[in-house]
Amino acid sequence: MQNMKIEETKYTPAIELDASGAITIVGKSYPENTFEFYAPVMKWVESYFESGAKKLAVNMEIVYFNSSSSKLFFDLFDLLEENNNPELIVNWIYDAENESAMEAGEDFKEDFEKLQFNLKAK
Amino acid sequence: MDIENKLVNEIAQLQHNFAETTNKLIKDIKRQNKILEQSDKRQRKEYDELLALKQEIEETQREVVFTMGAIGESRSKETGNHVKRVAEYSKLLALFYGLDEQEAEMLKQASPMHDIGKVAIPDAVLNKPARFTNEERVIMNTHAELGFQMLGTSKRPLLKMASIVAYEHHEKYDGTGYPRGIVGEDIHIYGRITALADVFDALGSDRVYKKAWEDEKIFTLFKEERGRHFDPRLIDIFFDNLDAFLSIRDRYRDVAGQH
Repeated sequence: MQNMKIEETKYTPAIELDASGAITIVGKSYPENTFEFYAPVMKWVESYFESGAKKLAVNMEIVYFNSSSSKLFFDLFDLLEENNNPELIVNWIYDAENESAMEAGEDFKEDFEKLQFNLKAK
Repeated sequence: MDIENKLVNEIAQLQHNFAETTNKLIKDIKRQNKILEQSDKRQRKEYDELLALKQEIEETQREVVFTMGAIGESRSKETGNHVKRVAEYSKLLALFYGLDEQEAEMLKQASPMHDIGKVAIPDAVLNKPARFTNEERVIMNTHAELGFQMLGTSKRPLLKMASIVAYEHHEKYDGTGYPRGIVGEDIHIYGRITALADVFDALGSDRVYKKAWEDEKIFTLFKEERGRHFDPRLIDIFFDNLDAFLSIRDRYRDVAGQH
C-alpha cells in the first residue's frame, strides 16, 4: 500500500491516506465533480481492506461542503461499515460554532450505528 | 409435496430479495432527503451570511464616503447640513434627468465628496478671511483636480463616480469653468448636476463671509445662468420641480444661521 496525499485547494480539502492506518480529510469540499475527485480515495480505501488491513482511524474535519459531498461521505461510510471491525474508528471533528457541520455529523452517526463514530467539537 | 415446497422456497426467496431491495430503496430515499434537508439548511444560512456581508459592505461604504465628505467640508467654509442637502438635491436632479434609482442613489452618496481635494489646500489659502489674490485663486482651484487624483485611482464604482464629481463640479456649461474649461455635455452629467446643487445651496446659506441670498435673487441668477454656468435642461428641471427642492432645504435646514 502506498501513502497518498492530495493538496488542499480553494474548493477541495487536504487529504492524507496513510497506509499505516490513518485517513485525514480537512477543509472545504466543493469539487466540480465530486465523485471523480474522491474516486482515488474510495479506491485506496477498498484496496486497503482488500490487503487484509483492519486498523484504521478516519479523521474528518469538513468546514463547508456541497450536497454531492454529503452523498459521497455516505458512500464512504457505507464502505467503512462493510469492513467494520473493532479497530476502525471515525472521528467527525467540527468547530462548535459550525452548526451545519455538527448536524451533518449527527446525521452520519445516526445512520451508521455499527461504526465507532465519534463527534468531536473543537 | 416436493413441487409445492420448491415453489414455497422460491417465493420465500423472492420475498426476501424483495424485502432487501425495498429496504435498500427506502434507506436510499431517506438518505437523499437528509442530504437535501442539510443542503437547504446550509444554503439558507449561507444566503443569510451573504446578505449580512452585503449590508456590512454597503454601510461601511456609506460611512466612509460620508466621513470623507465631512472631512472635505471641515476644510472648507461650508457648514452645517450643506453636504447632506447637496446630496439630496443631486439625487433629485438625477432622477428627474432620467438616471435610474440606483445611479441616482449612488450620486447622492458620491456628491458629498466633491470638495475632498480641499484637504490638500494649505490652511493659509483655505482659511484666508479676505479675497484671494490671483495666485491664491489658482491654488484654491486645484482642489478639483486634487480630488480627482485622490479618488480616481479607485476601482470602486462609487469612488470613480465621486472622482468625476470632484473633477467637474466647477466646470461651466459654456466652457468658462475650471479646471479644464470643458463645454456642454462634455461635462459629465454627474458634474453638471453637482455644480447646480452645490451653487444653489451655497447661495442660499449664511456663511461667515456673507449672508444667504434671497430666493428671488437666486432664481434670477439661475435664469441668467441657464446655458451659461448651468445645463439648461437641469435649470428647467429645477424650476419645474421647485417645491421638491425647497422642501429638501426645509428638511435639512441648518439649526444656527437661518436666514
